[in-house]
Amino acid sequence: MSEIVIGISDFKVSNNINDVLVTYALGSCVGVTIYDPAVKVGGLLHFMLPESSLDMRKAGENPAMFADTGIPLLFKACYELGAKKKRMIVKVAGGASILDDANFFRIGQKNVTAMKRLFWKNNVLVEGEDTGSNFNRTFSIHISTGKVFVRTAHNGTRELV
Amino acid sequence: MISDKILKSIKNIPAFPAVAMKLMALIDDPNYSIMDVADVLKYDQAITANMLRICNSAYFGLRHKVVTINDAVMRLGQQNIVRAVQAAGVSTFYKKAKGYGLEANKLWEHSVGVALMTQILSKRIFNCEDAKLYTTALLHDIGKVIMGEFVDESFPQIHNLVLKEGISFLDAEEKIIGINHAELGGRIASQWNFPKDMRDAIIYHHRPDLMQDEDNNGAWLVYLADQACIMMGIGLGSDGLAYKGLSEVIIKFKLRQRDFEECIMLMFEDLDRAREVIGMI
Repeated sequence: MSEIVIGISDFKVSNNINDVLVTYALGSCVGVTIYDPAVKVGGLLHFMLPESSLDMRKAGENPAMFADTGIPLLFKACYELGAKKKRMIVKVAGGASILDDANFFRIGQKNVTAMKRLFWKNNVLVEGEDTGSNFNRTFSIHISTGKVFVRTAHNGTRELV
Repeated sequence: MISDKILKSIKNIPAFPAVAMKLMALIDDPNYSIMDVADVLKYDQAITANMLRICNSAYFGLRHKVVTINDAVMRLGQQNIVRAVQAAGVSTFYKKAKGYGLEANKLWEHSVGVALMTQILSKRIFNCEDAKLYTTALLHDIGKVIMGEFVDESFPQIHNLVLKEGISFLDAEEKIIGINHAELGGRIASQWNFPKDMRDAIIYHHRPDLMQDEDNNGAWLVYLADQACIMMGIGLGSDGLAYKGLSEVIIKFKLRQRDFEECIMLMFEDLDRAREVIGMI
C-alpha cells in the first residue's frame, strides 16, 4: 500500500487499489472523502476556508482552498475516472473550533456550514461525519475498500461509518 | 506543585545565543544601522554560517550566492537579516523538541508560522513590521519544548479534564502537571534575561486578557497569530484547538473576519517560501 499525503488546500483522486489517501492536522479546515464502490474510485479534499468570494484570484489559482470551488472539483476529478454521482459515498471530518466559539474564530463552523449548503443544493447525502469540537484529526480513505478512518490523539484510529 | 524534574529541565536549557540577544537589544534602538548588525554578527561563527545558508535559500530568491556577512546585510536589508539570524538562533532549541504528539520539526514549523503571521497582522493593523515581535513569536511556545514529555505522560488525564470540565488545555496542564507551557516559557525567558514585554507576551500568549500591561500589543498579536495557526492545523498537536477564544481582540484591532481570513492566506504564501528554512534544522 502506498500512502498519498494531501496537504492543506489540496486534493487527490485515485483508482489504484493500493493507494491510501491521507491528510494530517485538520483543525478548522475540513476533509471530504468521496468514493464510488462500483469502480473503486475515490478522492480526498482538504479545504481551508468557506467562500471563494474572499479572493477570486486565489480561488482561480488554487480552487481546493475553498469549499465552494474545491468540492465541485473533487467530484469532477472522480467523474473523469469513471465514478458516478448517484453511487458516491461522501464522508467528512474536521471543522473544529477554538473554545467558547467567539464569533471571530468560527472558521470551523463556517466551513462545515458552507459545505453542507453545497451538498444540500446538489442533493448529495453525507453518510459519515465527524466534525466540530476542538481536536486535531487525521483523515484517510483506502481506495481498495472505500473505508474511511479518523485518527485523534485521544481515540486513536477509528473507522468513520 | 511543580516537580523537581521540570525545574531541573528548565535549569538545563542552554543559554540563549549571545548574538541573537545582542541583536535583540540593538533592534530595540530605532537608530541602529546595518553596520551595527554586521558588527554583532561577526562574533558567532555557527550562527553566521547558519544565517548565510538561510540567506541563500529560496526564501530570499537571490540570484548570486551570499558569502560574507557584509554581503548578506547589504543585499537582503537589515529586516531580513534580523529575521534570518533570529530564526537561526531560535531553531536550535526546537531541534529535538518532542511531545504533544508531534513530529520533531512540527513545533518549529508552528513557531515560524506564528512569527510570519504576526508580521502580516502588524503590517495590516499598524502599517509596519516588528522584528522584536518576530523573535518573540518564534519563542512563544518555547515552554512546550520542556513540557512535551510531561504532557505526553499525562495526556489521558489532561484530555479528560478538557472533555469533562470544558476547561482549556492550558488550564488542564496546570491542574495536572502544576504549570502550563506558557508560564514555563516565561520562566525560560526569565532565565534568559529577556525584557519584560517579551516575557509577558510568552506568558500570556493564550490569555492576553489577563495581562496587567494593557499597552503590550505584542502579546495580543502573538495570541491572534497563534490562534490562526492552530485553526489552520500548522504544527497542530494533541492539545488541538482547546484554547480560549477572546473576541475582544477584534475590537482591539478593529479587524473584520474578512481581514483575518485574508491574513491567513498571506501567511500560507510566506510559509511556503519559508519551507526551506524550516527544513534546514
